[in-house]
Amino acid sequence: MSLLHLAIISPFLLAILVPIAYKLFRQIHTGWFVLPLPILLFSYFISYLSITSNQQSVTKSFSWIPTLGIDFTAKVDGLGLLFALLITGIGALVVLYSIYYLDKNKEKLNTFYVYLLLFMGAMLGVVLSDNLIVLYTFWEFTSFSSFLLIGYWYHREKSRYGAQKSMIITVFGGLSMLGGIILLYLMTGTFSISEIIAQSDEIFSHALFVPALLCILLGAFTKSAQFPFHIWLPDAMEAPTPVSAYLHSATMVKAGIYLVARMSPVFAEHSLWLWLIAGFGITTLFWGSFSAVKQTDLKAILAFSTVSQLGMIMSLLGIGAAALHFETVEDSIFTVATTAAVFHLINHATFKGSLFMVAGIVDHETGTRDIRKLGGLMNFMPITFTLAIIGTFSMAGLPPFNGFLSKEMFFTGMVRVLEMDIFNLDTWGFLFPVLAWVASVFTFIYSMILVFKTFTGKFQPEQLEKKPHEAPIGMLISPIILASLVIIIGFFPNIISNTLISPAQAAIMPVEGYVYDTHIYFWHGFTPELFMTLGVITLGILLFVTLPKWRSVYNLFPEKLALNRFYDSMLEVSQRASFNLTKLYMNGFIRTYLVYIFSFFIVALAATLVLKDAFKFDTSEVATIHYAEVLLALVIAAASVSILFVKSRMTSIILLGAVGYTVSLFFVIFRAPDLALTQLVIETISVSLFLLAFYHLPKLRHEERMGFKMTNALISVGVGAIVTMIALSAHSNKMFPSIAKYYVENTYKEAAGKNMVNVILVDFRGFDTMFEITVLGIAALGIFAMIKLRLEGGKKNENK
Amino acid sequence: MINFLILPILIPLVTGVLLIFAAKRIMLQRWIAGISSVIAIILSALLVQKVRVDGIQTLDVSSWEAPFGITLVSDMMSALLVLTTSIIAFLCLIYSFWSIGEAREKFYYYAAFNFLIVGVNGAFTTGDIFNLFVFFEVMLMASYVLLVLGGKKAQLRESIKYILVNVISSALFVIAVAYLYSVVGTLNMAHISVRISEASQGNPPGIITVIAVLFLIVFGLKGAIFPLYFWMPGSYYAPPAPVLALFGALLTKVGVYSITRTYTLFFYHDTGFTHQLLSFLAIMSIIAGVIGAIAYWDIKKIIIYNIIIAVGAILFGVSAMTTDSLTGSIFYLIHDMIIKAALFLLAGIIIAIAGTSNLHKISGLIKRYPGLGWTFFIAALALAGIPPLSGFVGKLLIIKGGFEAEHYWGAGIVLMSSLLVLFSIMKIFINGFWGTPRAYKGEDKVPVGKMMIAPVILVVIAVFYGAGSEYVYPYILQAAETLANPEIYIEAVLKEY
Repeated sequence: MSLLHLAIISPFLLAILVPIAYKLFRQIHTGWFVLPLPILLFSYFISYLSITSNQQSVTKSFSWIPTLGIDFTAKVDGLGLLFALLITGIGALVVLYSIYYLDKNKEKLNTFYVYLLLFMGAMLGVVLSDNLIVLYTFWEFTSFSSFLLIGYWYHREKSRYGAQKSMIITVFGGLSMLGGIILLYLMTGTFSISEIIAQSDEIFSHALFVPALLCILLGAFTKSAQFPFHIWLPDAMEAPTPVSAYLHSATMVKAGIYLVARMSPVFAEHSLWLWLIAGFGITTLFWGSFSAVKQTDLKAILAFSTVSQLGMIMSLLGIGAAALHFETVEDSIFTVATTAAVFHLINHATFKGSLFMVAGIVDHETGTRDIRKLGGLMNFMPITFTLAIIGTFSMAGLPPFNGFLSKEMFFTGMVRVLEMDIFNLDTWGFLFPVLAWVASVFTFIYSMILVFKTFTGKFQPEQLEKKPHEAPIGMLISPIILASLVIIIGFFPNIISNTLISPAQAAIMPVEGYVYDTHIYFWHGFTPELFMTLGVITLGILLFVTLPKWRSVYNLFPEKLALNRFYDSMLEVSQRASFNLTKLYMNGFIRTYLVYIFSFFIVALAATLVLKDAFKFDTSEVATIHYAEVLLALVIAAASVSILFVKSRMTSIILLGAVGYTVSLFFVIFRAPDLALTQLVIETISVSLFLLAFYHLPKLRHEERMGFKMTNALISVGVGAIVTMIALSAHSNKMFPSIAKYYVENTYKEAAGKNMVNVILVDFRGFDTMFEITVLGIAALGIFAMIKLRLEGGKKNENK
Repeated sequence: MINFLILPILIPLVTGVLLIFAAKRIMLQRWIAGISSVIAIILSALLVQKVRVDGIQTLDVSSWEAPFGITLVSDMMSALLVLTTSIIAFLCLIYSFWSIGEAREKFYYYAAFNFLIVGVNGAFTTGDIFNLFVFFEVMLMASYVLLVLGGKKAQLRESIKYILVNVISSALFVIAVAYLYSVVGTLNMAHISVRISEASQGNPPGIITVIAVLFLIVFGLKGAIFPLYFWMPGSYYAPPAPVLALFGALLTKVGVYSITRTYTLFFYHDTGFTHQLLSFLAIMSIIAGVIGAIAYWDIKKIIIYNIIIAVGAILFGVSAMTTDSLTGSIFYLIHDMIIKAALFLLAGIIIAIAGTSNLHKISGLIKRYPGLGWTFFIAALALAGIPPLSGFVGKLLIIKGGFEAEHYWGAGIVLMSSLLVLFSIMKIFINGFWGTPRAYKGEDKVPVGKMMIAPVILVVIAVFYGAGSEYVYPYILQAAETLANPEIYIEAVLKEY
């Protein structure tokens, strides 16, 4: 195990210590114990920059289940490192922020930081594992830590709802991804991503290639909240705000994007990949930003905004894949899309992280996040207001912030779709820039809503639970750091272009012997992108000002068709339908169950008999049948049938006795006197015992005849017929001499017994007999205990 | 020692008999039962190691050579199952100390408990088809006693149903053995396999296939597969938690084991028919189980329906008949025994605290019982097959084997059933452990700490079983290889053949 592995699992190790620290140092906020770790990890991962910025990678292996090809191989390359830095960097800021956000006296800090650390470790594992099964393991860990964090305030109904929803949707995706991983394994014989990439050309035409692609994408789309799976993300906002900032905007939701980027070298050449990712991405972008505008909760706006921005990054990765379809990747005009994707991923983490923290501050200091109640906070919280301006303007794509740069590149990528002449993009490709532009207009509008509805306008103190004031400095540090990054990257984008962006790009679209070189410029001249941005601003301002007039547009969309409604009713209907269905056949009556069981018996065996042509009737080995035997058989049949029709218990037990005695007569005829005797004794004892017992039983009030039921009659006749037919066939199919001959020969010779049946019972198969006796003993014990021990029936509790 | 493999059967037998005589002395009973269980665990572990080193162990009882006498056979699968059974038996036993109540203890609870283990271990170990029937009887008779012990109304009502179904299935079992004997003229399982192979060369006779289906019905009734499981949810609902845990963890698994054994050792010549049928029934079991599991708001019902799902997953792997899928099935079988025992024992604690198994009436348990909550949470994840816990590797291999055998739909259903399993079991966590804490009548009297011992140990085993798969794997693989290559088994039993 290397230092790298230790770095990945260190959050798990610390998670074990957190509850102890919480118990021992109750006065100190537990967050202070946690904070050093992400800082340490961040600086540790920074040291890898020197390697990855040369677009090289480091691999360290640790064997876990080598027999199944599951090794914990950690690999740091440009893409993984970028994510690792985001996870630890934002992680440190979030922990710091949470120390001031969560009250050490009121909150269960031990569980909170355990979950957070579990998440941090899991997320590092996802982005640094080269083995797909290990990646999947960590992937599910992130789902469950997210589940626990969303349900952190578990007494709230909505938290539980949100937690369950996120779990169902992301685990669904995770499982489908696992399916994809197994399919990839079947094609390549390995779980290692690098080895799969090496074989990507050979598996391209494999029949399982497309199913694997679809399965993997399903995993990515659910995790990264792509339409129509995005519905879990807004409900995940029930988590404490630091969690929303960390998991549900900056890191975990980007795991899907990571997966797409990571698997691009395997799948990107397939047209489906391009179409699905670009298509779902652009749809999500549009739908998220469109839906964000109608929200009234600050965090809900941010959630939909996150959905939309994730869609944007996704669509860029899709378009970027087009570069692989042309002669050279290096100078392809489409690589700009991939560059934009990576660049925006970083930018989004900075501005959205700070905005979530701003929303948290507003909530913390005013007691509400409802923009209808907020307004005019500018004067009370000037620093927060400034942070909000920086964050939202960057999100809206305004200069000089980093969001402007990546938004411009995004437009460039989308406009270039018009130049694609592959996969029918020449017919439908124009939709991409159009949707991108419309979505950006909405992005602009909700950004403005976010900042201006909160900080300007009329101050409504009567609506607020607390008297608003500026947040304590500790809570402001983290968003200030993020906001400064927004500005720094905005002015000097090239400090990250070749340290972070190009190395990541090299991992997404590796080209042998080529080193990516990225330069980001502010000014591109009077390009279409610039006019698109100007258009966004103009129309955005216009629509923002006139919002009350056209807001009713949202009411046109019928509630019933909403995806949330679909999810809720699916959950409810499936449970109710299952319940009704189960109740329908599980009615508690054993006779009904026997009907099912015997019906299956008849159908399955009759079908096999017919299909396998197994019925055979061979009389060659049958002894001649005498009249006496026929007579006895008739007596047995008559007595058995009569039992069903007699009224009293006495009569039926006597009839049962008749059957038994007749059987013993058969033994007499077949010259087995000992068996006949045994049978006689047993019959006599059981009949007299029954009679004795029945004598003491109370009389039945209605000794009615059972009604005749056609189905039951058919089933019983069917069972009898099947049993008989198989018996005849089995008898007619004696394929081997039976081992009985051995007993005949050896009863006297080896076992020194004269009665063969006895010797079989007590010697050859004495082991059977011993346990049959045990059975009788247990039965006696059970009956005694049943009669003697009566725990009172009324009490429901079983374990008292 | 040559007679090593009979000890896991004899020890509980002798213990059971001894306990009858110590019925009124509870502490003595607990000590005897406890110590003998520990010895049984040690011996079964040694047995596993012996099989690992020396190969299959056989014992011709009374020295009547196979195939004429009764032969006991411990291959890796049966040894592993015996070990698992011994461990679960010990843990259910100590759990009973603090939960079953003096009244039951005085009325031969521990004796019946031990007889049940006799039957289960015997069924796993025997190499004779009629002797298998005898051990089924031992196990069933003990289970009747455990089910009815206490004499509550629900117990009596459900016992009648349970006994009726099992008497019918036992009758069918004897009938099936008789048919098989008529056709192949032998009872020794290895010998049966040899003769069926001889008869099946080129074209397997139809009658063998018919008998195969009949055996599937017989064992399917015990193993609670679709459409034969109807008796189970009601019957398993009645007894107290440790008995339910034993039933859920062991009894259905004996049925599953028997199907696996017969369908790999005897009836593998017409897989196009028999194994297709098995595969179909396995998938239907998963679906039916899932429907039941998500339908209820009752802790016991939810876990009981999950038994059916697991049985389906295991048998799906068996039906695919690749080494991978068989390895997966055995992995999963042992996992499921451990985790079902853990879940039922945990459910027992929840019910003891809350006084009900109705989820609508339970909430917020995690506040007062965090240990219980997290143990349950981990067990739930293991049940759903989340890595690196115990259910994962088995499920992975079953799905892989399924894909390899081109059962895409079936493998897909196994895969996605995990989601609904998770949903059904997390319903208990979300609603029972989360939510507003409330007070329950009499909860202070429940010895939660002591009752937690057994389930915690089981969950720890589950974690190591999953994370340490590398160490378990060689054993499981050896078991699967014996299943995949019947000649290994045959050679060990019949030597000269």
